[in-house]
Amino acid sequence: MTTQPDPVRLKHRHLEQIAMTALRAARLLTECGARVRVAHEGAALIVRGLGAECLGLRTGYGSQEITVSSGVNTITRMMTVGPHGVNHRLDHALRAMAARVAKGGMSVEDTEREMDRLITETPRHSPFVVALAVGVACAAFGRLLGVDWQAFGAVLLAGAVGQYVRHLLLRRGLNSYVVAAAIAFLAAFLGGFGARLAGSGTINLAMMASILLLVPGVPATNAQTDIMDGFPTMGSARAVAVIMVMVFATTGVWLAEIMLGVR
Amino acid sequence: MIWLHLLHQAFFGAVAAAGFGVLFNFGPRALLGCAAAGALALAVRTLGQDAGWSLELASFAAAVATGFAMRLLREPLGPAGNAMALAGCIPMVPGAFFGQAILGMFAVTGPHPENADATVLLAMESMMRVIFTLAAIGAGLAIPSYLLRTRDF
Repeated sequence: MTTQPDPVRLKHRHLEQIAMTALRAARLLTECGARVRVAHEGAALIVRGLGAECLGLRTGYGSQEITVSSGVNTITRMMTVGPHGVNHRLDHALRAMAARVAKGGMSVEDTEREMDRLITETPRHSPFVVALAVGVACAAFGRLLGVDWQAFGAVLLAGAVGQYVRHLLLRRGLNSYVVAAAIAFLAAFLGGFGARLAGSGTINLAMMASILLLVPGVPATNAQTDIMDGFPTMGSARAVAVIMVMVFATTGVWLAEIMLGVR
Repeated sequence: MIWLHLLHQAFFGAVAAAGFGVLFNFGPRALLGCAAAGALALAVRTLGQDAGWSLELASFAAAVATGFAMRLLREPLGPAGNAMALAGCIPMVPGAFFGQAILGMFAVTGPHPENADATVLLAMESMMRVIFTLAAIGAGLAIPSYLLRTRDF
């Protein structure tokens, strides 16, 4: 009986580490709002840089799978994808990391450490700054829609409060569609009430402008691009998620209109 | 007066795009790119609409112009140009039309709807505008990136 380790099993363990590291990068890219093609390219670059070959990747809305090989050994692994958001700086930092790994010289451990570092050290705007910026964006959006100047401040305030409360609710892990309905109600109510107090003649538009922070513009365009890139399953899933968010958000506006007696 | 309207739309397009850029966690330098993209997109859309184009056609032209501009400025902007073009087009996403469409449908399904025919027609029109405008923005942004595809990741 031999005491030497089984070379095939060792190879599989190493392949598994490569597969899981590449999947983690693909998952993070997807959660940052990257298109499927970008997530797949990033994962494939990492697999190649770590010395294996990427045979295939599948991205669904809630999970991703990868098959990597080295010689005659092949392994397939799956990973769950978390909530989909948009984080441009982390997205591009991960892409740059994938390009560095592809050049060679980094191990699985180095790559994992680098991903940990990017997650913790990539700068983020503070929730207060984001809330203020979103409020200003909603008010500007309102002007583009035809909201009068009297309602401008109300929309700004409603958008900012809506974004800050959304941040708090999402951080507590609440369902994103329920959050969309709740924030739409809060922002539309505040925007409509404030616009009425200010003597605005565009209360309806002010209510709509106040909830524009909820419009999922990036997933809506990603849905089309994914379909054009040859990933209709993910594209369709994104489109359905966009419709769901908008239906829940509109329900919130509808409730706010009833509360304010606006028709 | 037309120029004033154009300036107004471009300015608020820039402000809205930069505001959403903060939400999407763009860096300070990239936020300037988002604002420029937003100003360009809204200026082109406004010029198109002033020329009598439909919202959908004007949005398509604006997205194509923004996509090409960000591609041509790839040298100073780097690979983030695509994302900036997308952020610049966010103020053109017809979220308010979607709301009007759903609210119209809610109104029709009430116990005693008033002017049901007109309300349904308006809701359907709003929904079609959402679909066609979103498709126009998506296609307008995608075409330059496919035509001028680069190898950098």
